[in-house]
This record gives sequence, C-alpha cells and structure tokens, in this order.
Amino acid sequence: MKKSTWTRRDFLKASGATAVGVGIGQSGIGLAAEPGNQERVHGKADACIFIWLGGGAAHIDTFDPKGRGDGKKTPGCYYASIDTAIRDVQVCEHLRRTAPLLDRCVLIRTLTHDISGEHGAATNLMHTGRRPSETIAYPSIGSIVSHQLGVKSEAVPAYVVMGYPNIARDPGFLGPKYGYVYLTQIETGPNGLIRAPDVDNERQRRRESLLSTWQHEYEREHPGDHNIRGQTAISQQGFRMAGPQFLSVFDLGKEKQSLRESYGGEFGQRCLLARRLVQSGVRFVEVSFNLNFLNGTGWDTHNDGQINQHLLIQDLDQALAALLMDLEKNRLLETTLVVVATEFGRPPEFDTGGGRGHQSVAFTCVLAGGGLRTGQVIGKTDELGRKVVERPVTVPDFHATIHSALGINPHKNLYADERPVPITNRGSPIAELFG
Amino acid sequence: MKSSYLPQWTSTLVVLVSFFTLSAAIGASPASTQGGSEAALLSGDPVKVTVFENLPAGKELELTEAPPTEEYTERAFGFVRFPTKYSSNALALDRSTPFVIRASLHQALPAGEYHFRLRSKGAARFLIDGQALLTTKAQKPNASGNDPVPPPAERNNSTWRPVQYPHQEELAAIQLDGEKHHFTLIALMGSKGLVPLPGELSLSFGREGEVPQLLGSADPVLLTDEAWESYAAEQSARHNAADMARRRAISADTTARWQEYNHQVRDWVKKRPAPEAPKVKSQELVFNAIDQFVLARLEEAQVVPTPLTSDLEFFRRLSLDTVGTIPAVEDVSAFLNDPPSQRRRQAIDRFLNHSGWADHWVSYWQDVLAENPGILKPDLNNSGPFRWWLHQSFTDNIPFNRLVAELIQMEGSIFQGAPAAFKLATLNDSPMAAKADILSQAFLGEKLSCARCHDAPDHPRKQRDTFSFAAMLDGKPVKIPVSSTVPFVEGFRKPRVEVTLKPGEEISPHWPYAELVDASDMAAIVPVSSTAPATRRQVAAMMVTPENERFAKVLVNRLWKRYLGAGLVEPAEDWYLAKPSHPELLEYLAREFVVNGYDLKAIVRLILTSRVYQQKPLPAAAAIAEPKERLFPGPIRRHLSAEQLVDSLYRAAGKTFSCEELNLNPAGNRPLNEFLNLGNPQRAWQFTALMNERDRPALALPIAQSIVDVLTTYGWRQSRQNPMTVRQDAPSPMQTILLANGIVGTRITRLSDDSAFTELALEDRPLQDLVNETFLRLLTRPPSQSESRVAQDYLMLDYPDRKQQGAAKQKSAVAPDKRVSWANHLSAEATLIRMEEERRLRMGDIPTSRLSSQFRESYEDLLWSLVNSPEFTLIP
Repeated sequence: MKKSTWTRRDFLKASGATAVGVGIGQSGIGLAAEPGNQERVHGKADACIFIWLGGGAAHIDTFDPKGRGDGKKTPGCYYASIDTAIRDVQVCEHLRRTAPLLDRCVLIRTLTHDISGEHGAATNLMHTGRRPSETIAYPSIGSIVSHQLGVKSEAVPAYVVMGYPNIARDPGFLGPKYGYVYLTQIETGPNGLIRAPDVDNERQRRRESLLSTWQHEYEREHPGDHNIRGQTAISQQGFRMAGPQFLSVFDLGKEKQSLRESYGGEFGQRCLLARRLVQSGVRFVEVSFNLNFLNGTGWDTHNDGQINQHLLIQDLDQALAALLMDLEKNRLLETTLVVVATEFGRPPEFDTGGGRGHQSVAFTCVLAGGGLRTGQVIGKTDELGRKVVERPVTVPDFHATIHSALGINPHKNLYADERPVPITNRGSPIAELFG
Repeated sequence: MKSSYLPQWTSTLVVLVSFFTLSAAIGASPASTQGGSEAALLSGDPVKVTVFENLPAGKELELTEAPPTEEYTERAFGFVRFPTKYSSNALALDRSTPFVIRASLHQALPAGEYHFRLRSKGAARFLIDGQALLTTKAQKPNASGNDPVPPPAERNNSTWRPVQYPHQEELAAIQLDGEKHHFTLIALMGSKGLVPLPGELSLSFGREGEVPQLLGSADPVLLTDEAWESYAAEQSARHNAADMARRRAISADTTARWQEYNHQVRDWVKKRPAPEAPKVKSQELVFNAIDQFVLARLEEAQVVPTPLTSDLEFFRRLSLDTVGTIPAVEDVSAFLNDPPSQRRRQAIDRFLNHSGWADHWVSYWQDVLAENPGILKPDLNNSGPFRWWLHQSFTDNIPFNRLVAELIQMEGSIFQGAPAAFKLATLNDSPMAAKADILSQAFLGEKLSCARCHDAPDHPRKQRDTFSFAAMLDGKPVKIPVSSTVPFVEGFRKPRVEVTLKPGEEISPHWPYAELVDASDMAAIVPVSSTAPATRRQVAAMMVTPENERFAKVLVNRLWKRYLGAGLVEPAEDWYLAKPSHPELLEYLAREFVVNGYDLKAIVRLILTSRVYQQKPLPAAAAIAEPKERLFPGPIRRHLSAEQLVDSLYRAAGKTFSCEELNLNPAGNRPLNEFLNLGNPQRAWQFTALMNERDRPALALPIAQSIVDVLTTYGWRQSRQNPMTVRQDAPSPMQTILLANGIVGTRITRLSDDSAFTELALEDRPLQDLVNETFLRLLTRPPSQSESRVAQDYLMLDYPDRKQQGAAKQKSAVAPDKRVSWANHLSAEATLIRMEEERRLRMGDIPTSRLSSQFRESYEDLLWSLVNSPEFTLIP
C-alpha cells in the first residue's frame, strides 16, 4: 500500500518514461555499475543467525591465538591454545567445546577495516557494510536479508533482534516495514508482541470483540473507503503475528531440560531461541552477547575487563557448540548460516590496566553451516595477529559472502527513491567457500 | 573493581561553627517537628542572583573585580536552570566556560541553631557575612566509565529528598542571633570536560530534626521530593516565559528592521500584477479565493467536490493539523458552544494562537532540515539541537523570511541549539555541501544530493553547483573531498554518471541559481546583519528576496501539501520536472505569503478557512495522481504522524511521558560536545536517537526507548543524516501490534492514579455519560446509539460498585533510577539496574486501587479497543 510518497521513480513511471525510470537497474546508469563477469550465486541457506559480540572481541584471545603474552609487558595471547577439528589450526583453550566442531565452521581471520576509534561507527560499518552517507541511510544486513528473502509466513516476522534497538540495526532507506522485532532479555519477551502480563487470552478475546464492533461500525459509516478497510486488514495481520503460533516459539520451556542446560546461561538461551525462531520461519536473527556484568566491560576488554574475559569466551563456546549441534540434529545446519561477528579485534599488547585496546586492521569473524564449504581458515595474520599477511577480507566481501550463502546477489541494486544502491559496496564473496 | 572508595556523594561534613557573636538567642522557639515552620517569619525578599563570566582561571570563586554579565532574582537558593543568554537577534549564546553564579540575600532568621546544607555537583561556597561556612569540591572530569554506582538512597521513611548522584552534600550547624545577615552562595558552572548545568544546586536550612527548607523563600520550599520537583518545574516554566520576554525585548531593533523591510517588500510586490481568482458557477462552494482556483478546474473537468466534513470531524482534523494532537475534551465543548456559523473560523483562530503550533512545526522542519543531534559521541552528520531555536522561532512567530535568513547565517550557540547548531555536520568531510543540499531542497525545491559525488543523472544539477553553493556558505573556496567522487574500479563497467570535478579541486563561492534570481535590487536591503561571512549573508539575501519567486512558492506548496495531502507541485523538494497542478493558485498563495510579511499563519489561515480543506477526504491513493489529474476535489486522506499519535495518546490519557532525561551523562562529568543533554521530553518531537550502538544494557534508557519504538515504527526517524520531506510511514502490522501490546499502549490504557480516565470513572454520573465522555476524549465524537449500548453493556455489571472506599492515590509510573551515568556505566551494578528497570516497565503503570479491579479491567478494555480502532489513527 502506498501512502502519499511521491518519488521521481513514480513520476517517471507515471509519465511513461520507462526507458529511464524502469531501465535504471539494467542499463547500469547509476553508481551501481555491475561487474562485467557476475559471480553466480550458489547459496543454499534460507536463514541466518548473526551472533554479535559487541565491544570488539579479541581475535588473539579467541579464534586466532598466537604466542603467549604475560598480561603486562609481553604481548601475545592471554591463554593457552588447543587443537581443533581442522588440522594445524588452534583456538584458545576456553573454546574447547567448539574446537572439535570447527569442521562445521570457517574462520575468517583477516577481516580488515579502518575504524578502530569509535564503537558506534565500527558497529554501523559491520552491520551495513558501508560507511554512512550523508545523502541516504543504508539498511542493516538484517533488513536487506528480510527485504530480499521476504517472510515465510504472515504470522512470523522476517527479522528478530535479541539486543538493543539502534541505528546500526535499522532498515534505513528500505523503510520501517523492514525493521525488526526485538527483545532485550529472554524474560521480557519480544517487545510489542507479548501482551501485558494482566491480559490473558480470554481478556484479549473480549477486547478484540469490542474492537471489531467499532471497526464494523466505522466501515459502515464510511462505505467504500479503502483506507479504513486497509487499516483493519493490516491490524488483523498484526494480531496474527502476536498470536499463539509465533509466541509459542518464545516458550523455551517446550525444550528438553537437558538441551536447555547444554546451551548454558542467558546468552545460550538466546541462541536456543534463535534456533526456534529460524525453525518457525524467521529469516534473520541477530543475537547480541552483551552480558557485560560477567566481566564488567563485555567484549570491550580494556583494563580489568581482561581478567574475567574467559567467562565470556566460555559462555560463547558453550552456546555456539550447542547451537551447531542442535541445528545439525534438526537438519537445519545446511540451510542456516551462523555468523559470529564483532566490530573489530584487539591488539596483542596490553594496556596499563592489563587489558587491550582496539584493532580494526586485522580481526576474526566466524561463519558456520549455511551450506558453505566449511572446515577452512581464510587468511593469515602475522605472528602476533597485528596485520594481515595473506588474503585480506573487506567488510563488503564479508557481507557479499553472507548474502551469497543466502542466495542473494550481492551486486543487485536496491533503490533509495530513484537512486540505485547495490546490496554491497562492490563486495566479492569468498570464492573458496562455494561450489 | 576497586575494593574501597570514598564516594564523594556521601561525604557529609558536620561542622559546628561558632564564629558569630551570639547575642540574643532569646525567644528562639523550640525545634518544631514540622518543616518550614519558620517560613512565615521570613521577609520574603527575593534572592538576588548575579552571573559572572570570563573570570581569571583558578580563582573564579573569588569574584575579584569581575563585572557581572547578568542579574536577576530567584525565589530561593535552589537552581535547576539559569536565564538563557541571547544575542541582539534573540539567538541563544554560550556563556564563558566556566561561569559563576552568586546568589545573595540579606535576611534575618529567628535566633537559634540551624543546620545549613549545601548540595552541589561541583565547586561551590556558602558564606555568611563574607565568611565561608560550607565548601564543595570541584567536580573531576571522568575518563573511564568505571566509577562506582552509588548505593540506593536510604530513605528511612523520611520524606527528605536524597542527595542526587553525583552531588556532594556539606552540612554545618550554626547559632544565629536573630539579626539580619548576608547569605551568599557562589557556584562554579562547567569547566573543561564538565557540563555547565547546575544539576540540583541548593542551599537549605532547618533546625535539627526538621525537614530543611530552601533559604530565601517567603513561601517555603521544603527539601522533599514533591516540593523540590514542583519548585524545579515552576522555575523552568518561569525561566521559559522570562526568556521569551527577554529575547523579544533584546531583539526589538531586529524585529523592527524586518518589519520595515517586509513593508517595503509588500509595496514592491503590490506594484506587480496579481493573479485573479477565476469565476466559478457553484458560488455556494466558495469559502475564499482558494476555492475559486480549485473549483474552476473541477468544473471544467466536471468533477464534483466531496461534501463538507461534519463540525466534529473538522475540529479533530484542525487540531491535529495545527497543534499536533487530538483536541482536549474541554476544547470540544467550547467549540460546540460557539454559534454554528462562526465556530469553524473561531476555532481556527484559537488553534493558530495555541502554543502547540510551535511543537507541531518543529517535527516538520527537523525532517526537512535534517536536525540530527546525538546524545553520545558524534555519528555522521550530527547537527546541534537547533530544535530549540525552531521552537522558539515558531513560538515567537517571527516572519518566515527572517527565520530562513537566520538559519543560513548560522550564528549563536551550537549546543544550546541556536542556528549555529545547523552548521555542525560531524564526521563529514564537507559539511557545507550537506547544508547546501538541505537548504536547496527545503527552500528552493532543488535537490543536490545526487550532485554531491557526481553530476546528477537526468537532472540539470551539476556537482559544481553543490560545491560553489557550499563555498558561499563557507565564505571561502572549498576543496572537493575524496569521498565526493566515484572511483572507477577495474573489472566493473564504467559508471554512466559523469564526474566532472577531481578530488582536491578548489571551487570558488558562486551563486548557482542565477536562473531563479540573479542581480537583485531587493536582496541588497534584506536586513542580514551578522558577523557571518559575506557570501553566506549573500546566500541568505538571495534566498529570501522577493525577486526569488521560487522561495515563496516552495514554501506555500509545502503548506498546501501538509494540509491537503499532496502538493500543487510534486515532489515538493525537487521541482526540476515540476508542473504545478494549479499554477495560478500557486502564484496567488505565494503572493499572499509575501504581502502578509511572510507570516506562515496568514497562509495557513487562508488554507484552513477554504472549503476544500474542510471537505471529506479522498482515498490516499489520489496523492500520486499526475498533475493534470490532481484536481483536489477534496483533501487527501492522511493518517496520524508518529508524533501526532504519541502526543495524542498521552494527551488523551492525561499522562506525561515520565521517562528518563535524554542524556547519557547525567553526572555531567563528560564533555558537552560528546554528550548532549536534550532534557526531559514533553512532546514527541523532543525525542532523539538513543544511540545504543554499543548494545550495552547500562546505556539503555528503557522508558524513553519504549516511546522511541512507537515513534520509529510509525515512520519517525531517530537519525536524520539526510533531509526528508515525505516519510516512509505506510501502515504496517508492526504498528498496530506495537500499539496493541507494547509498553506505551499498556501505559496509556492502564487506569493508574495519573490517568485522566481514572478520574472520569470516579465521578458520580450515569454510565451513559462516562461512555459519552470517553468517546469524545478519544475519538472527538459521541458514540452512536448502538456503540453506546455496546459499551454500556460491557461496563454495566461492575459500574455501580466500582469505587473502593478509603483507597488512596499512589505513584503510577516506574521512576527512572538516576544513579547510572556514562561515568559508571561499565560497572556491573549499572547493567543490573537497567535490566531490572526493563523488567518492571513491562508490567506497565501501577493500577489505581480506587477502582475495583473488575471495573478497572473492563474500562481498560474499552479504552484499549478505542485506541486501537482504525478511527484513532486516521485523520478524519
């Protein structure tokens, strides 16, 4: 339904200037010059679980371990390293449950960008794949995926966030329709969908019955008014989304106690919920690991945040391993891409408080499942993880890889009014992961 | 975590000072148990407050040889804000950093022993007869975010207001002799890395065991939560009013100059031929000249206009369109009491003079002018909060040409939101290019955004236009930034867009719109007087001069679009293909605008009094008709904007947002340019992006977030990096479900003790009247007979026994915990405080116990069903 928006595209279409208006994409008139040899899109996945380690998880203390440091003057890894399911590839000792599952994963050890000063800006970059523009607001990857893949059913939203609403997760020029349903804690439930605690089904039924009386009366008073009928239809769709079918997904009590325990604490339960959401038809679930009280700083381990960083890593390890096994058991791993991302990594040196600063020129993100050729490590950093030695992966490349895994052409143009905007800023999917 | 610390907010120093000659303590009454008992004995002299700026560093509190910059009086020694400093153009200015305030009072207190109590965030001193009695320490800027969270205030059943984080409290007991003494408070405001706001600066006194009262007031202000909050609210409101009077007085000359200029403009325009309103057959359908222009085309096309709205439909629409909320029920009665033949016109006049006029306009210009303040560290294109200046300008109703000229000159304070705030575009390598685009779209209907990085395809605007305009705003040549180019990448097809400028190329100031206005006689006399660069003043003059006919036309077209649902010219912000649907009407409105001294209200009055505005709406789809088919047989159906919806909901329920201050630095110990304080919102336009990209629970503002969620889902933009005229706010399932189940919807329909509906339900009257009043309040109309029957049936059973005898009012909303600030947000405690707040918020406001729960729930159901009905969100 189109409200009074009037864009030049409409105008050009309306005035029959199709050669310009509709042809924009194909003729490559815009910025979005498409590549001469377009990569084919191979993806088999139809959903994505995007785990977000906000704050900047230290690659050197997790998935790209190096020589041991001392927490003071000697730079290096804060923990011992252990072997994994990939030959000659090690991770830190606190990832012992995930280590044997690395054959289901891809470690991208050479993510690289140049925003290390500001969490907000780097978070934005990792979510939109672009530096912000003053002329348009770029959509988040979650919004793009839900825009491209659409909803599986009217009763289920396409995009769910477990974490705080912010601009990085926003739909930008795609509009609020491609926004997300969010929850900040499992306990509080999805914002807007869960009714207030004092409204049970019976009370809700009474309420809706009153509502439909007014709706019918209003429609009778305004015969032939499409806007009123449209509004009623849309609100009914909303109520279906908040109906028992979707809300029962949030009831983790329906899972076996042993499975729930295998996932661990609040973060693990979020991952379990993510699996249930994907199962119910949600396309993109972002799961934030922001339980900052575990070590004081979350993944932004300056100063004494370092001391209890292992608690975060252990939580991540337990939840990630449980998620991968659980997806596999439910035959969802092949069609569900799991991403572990963060805004930047951290240097091997320690600050005066024994923690670490920020480092964006080389850090690690992880992909798993999603029908990719897993069991690989992409790229190589130097002996202390400071710099990329082989195969840098840019943020647009990273996004192009995710989109491709989901069967989305990363070069396709979206439109901000009349302006063509390719899904990624000339990103190329990591070829080794496909085919 | 540090194991031990001495938190400064709890350090209470008890000093027993006895440097006074204790003459006669005779007659001192024994300490009474009730606070403020001595108040009646005070003389009631106002407290004299003096402001000092630019004092020698390190010795500010000495006030040596400092000439005061401002003097005013205050009720008492309690400070939450100060008068705004204004330029001669009535623009807010920054005071020096730091500045000092001195409050003094010459007064006698009855003889006896008193406890004096100083509360201050930063350095302050309290003196009696020139001798320092109490001193607080300078506040230290915070660097880490690792400060400890203070323990919750210990109330011990006392009504005393606890010391707010991170204030210090110093206490001294002293014997007074009953004679007059000089009481003086000197306090330092702001400093490097500190915010220049007083927090809750206060000096209070009382006898032992008594509730302290603020020094100075004849009408005693006790140091209790309730009294302090009402004192603070009163002070803010009084300063707002005083600010308005002061800026009017101070800018009288400027106002006179613009008045004189606008008279000259009027005479100039009147010499030119005026478009004549065409003759029409259906004279009975003509309310004013606008209708003649519209009807002429309708008659030609043989299209029949829609019928008039009913009086109440009109009234609801009018209220939403002028003040941005549904009407108050009292206003509905006043409207219906007016004689039918005059009531519409009188209502229009009343609404145009309502303070909500300014509130409703601010939202619009925030979008169009990309007002984008950030409350946490700069993001791309954060501007300053010029929302405050917009609000002030619409409140003062300054001529619109003056408003635009002042905006373009970009003077005054950035962080207090004068036009200088428009100048700011953080992290942008060419801020003025962004501003050139914003100003062009807003006031000339020329979109430059596609000509920032390259020449705009299929559009006459070139990249050079953008940058030569930017150079004029900058007052010097500008270089093309690297970001403003389109790199050619190997393997990709060559872009079809033309890039004619190279990065680093220098572009000189040049007015790019010569075809709109070139050499201009009238531009020379536009009263632009400022210290802004000459070429910037030139832009201001060229923009608003009447020879630039585009300016007035773009403005009246924006007004038309706002009230009728589609423009005479579309798109309203980009006229290059523009074919006005009614060229003569556009001419006519533009001329009226100029002749009436660029008074927005004059044109709005003209539109609102036309018949076409007052007719029943057409389907929304009509908005995208081609110009020749856009005949306006009626206005186009619109729905409530996000702000209209939220403001209307809270207004109908009689509730306030009661959310957190929009400020992540309430401790005030981080710098102003990274942590803006946008205050406690009263209207929806005052919200902003809550900036939790860090995804940290401790940085969440849960109550504000619940309102921001509704706003964004209904199409409000929390971040306005770029200008926008038409929002993406088509109805969506998420909108309806968020309203139905979300926190805001739950709070609005909850019958708590701050709900207007609770009071309604407690009144003694027949059930039918309650139902009637409820419909009026929410839908601006009485229920039909059948609706009334349904509603009464629903409530009947529980109505007679609804009142719970003896039950008292209680606090309704979750009160934000004020112990968290950026300075301590990394502590685990801060995270847990906010997470707990979120959990409590889910429960909604606390229900009243004055109504039986059976009745309460039924009446809540009725409210819920009306708020969620399509009728509530559609503009009639």
